[in-house]
Amino acid sequence: MSTNSSLEYAFAPSTVAGAEAALLPAPSRVAEALSDLLSGFSRAWMWSALAYQDIRLRYRGSLLGPFWITLTNLIMLAAMGTIYAALFKMETSTYIPFLMTGLLVWQFLSTTVNEGCFTFSAAQDVIQQVPLPFSIQAYRTVYRNLIVLAHNAVIIPFGLILFRIPVTWHVLEIFPALLVLCVNGLWISLLLGTVSARFRDVPPIVANAVQVVFFITPIFWPIDAVGDWKRLLALSPVYAAIDVVRTPLLGQAISPHSWPILLVCTAVGAAFGLGFFVRFRERIAYWI
Amino acid sequence: MPSVHLRHVCVDFPIYQGSSRSLKKILISGTTKGNLARDAFDRVNVRALSDVSFDVENGERFGIIGPNGAGKTTLLKVLAGIYKPTQGRVSISGRAMALINASVGLNPDATGRENIILRGMYMDIHPRAMRRHVDAVAEFTELDNYLDMPVRTYSSGMMVRLAFAISTCIRPEILVLDEWLAAGDAQFLAKAQKRMEEFVSGSSIVILASHSLDLVRQWCRRAIYLRQGVALAIGPVEDVIASYAAAL
Repeated sequence: MSTNSSLEYAFAPSTVAGAEAALLPAPSRVAEALSDLLSGFSRAWMWSALAYQDIRLRYRGSLLGPFWITLTNLIMLAAMGTIYAALFKMETSTYIPFLMTGLLVWQFLSTTVNEGCFTFSAAQDVIQQVPLPFSIQAYRTVYRNLIVLAHNAVIIPFGLILFRIPVTWHVLEIFPALLVLCVNGLWISLLLGTVSARFRDVPPIVANAVQVVFFITPIFWPIDAVGDWKRLLALSPVYAAIDVVRTPLLGQAISPHSWPILLVCTAVGAAFGLGFFVRFRERIAYWI
Repeated sequence: MPSVHLRHVCVDFPIYQGSSRSLKKILISGTTKGNLARDAFDRVNVRALSDVSFDVENGERFGIIGPNGAGKTTLLKVLAGIYKPTQGRVSISGRAMALINASVGLNPDATGRENIILRGMYMDIHPRAMRRHVDAVAEFTELDNYLDMPVRTYSSGMMVRLAFAISTCIRPEILVLDEWLAAGDAQFLAKAQKRMEEFVSGSSIVILASHSLDLVRQWCRRAIYLRQGVALAIGPVEDVIASYAAAL
């Protein structure tokens, strides 16, 4: 029938029966999602360029550009550092480095989660027009936040020198820690990006949850300040995520629970996020 | 060898009308059964394509005609790999390039020249490779000094010139075109037609959706006539146009 050049009426589906042989076998959902993730990752030049473009657009025409991030952070540290050190009856020379490193990780985590909700909906026009791997948008979200993290981190060495924090080889432990945080950022972006494309209330719900987590997690207050609650809070995966970066920077030992908790949560979360992506990936273009 | 095969393709759009898109509604409806549940899930599915099957082989120019809302753009998006059909099978071999919207990937604040690189990125072309094409693209657009101005200052016709020039600077194996080309002026359209003629004389497939019957007649050898998502006729372009004209 493929050589039939006369007028073919397609009222009845049977007119094309027998031509199935021309079709390749359809790949499974799992295979398609995995190839999406891999071919997306292999286009590092694309998502890194898109992430840089996002940052450039955000600060277009401003004098300091992305270093506004650094300055904002510096002002916040100066203000919170002096007041809260007094509140918690700590020396500013202990409290400010603690706060500085804690906020560094927290800002990365919280903006990745919040912006993760818009992973696909912010790229709506592109997804509707160009067939690219969906995962590119998730890599872009995480990489954009890594760029912001780098701008925030500029003040860290100065802070450590100013407050005479001894720098040890343990500092290198932050690199595997950041890698694990990025993996978490990735599954969170895939999961929340997909759910938020379908349900538009999810981003504000997530934003609220993030706000609450900030206050109940020992980020800007020492975990010892809460007495018996300490044992419960030490099990928080958010605390673990902050601990694995903060304590090496401050030259202290990571809590023995932190890595196990973080790795288990990463594995469970990644499996869940991946499963969700496999199931709903092909619906994203319809939802946004 | 590029080729396109569609079998029994259906595309349904779920319409999450305002409130049914809200998570709250679904959570509440889980607890209060009855009217509310029906309201919350009162989803309307719009069938944009219904049981569409056809083949396009190498070197062919294929037209898609039909009135507004016939499903032309939806079909183009299926061909471009953007929508995965809700039912049926699509098999496309060859790199498809879809020109569905002139402004996609164009950053209004960047200059025309910068946008050539940016848009190339969305076409999966590395900036380094794209830089080699900038001059050829610039020449084709005939925008001259405007290329160093932000795209925000362009008229829609100029935008179309730029988008078309960028998208066709590398010969795609399958070129999928929507009607927005019409925003260009007559002189540009003639130029665009010449470029597309070069394409199909090589080994490429061009698929064009339009309600301009003249354009389709001039361009395509075979065509499909869609109406409300149903393929009413597929075959040689004159016959399909005749059945479309008869239905008008």
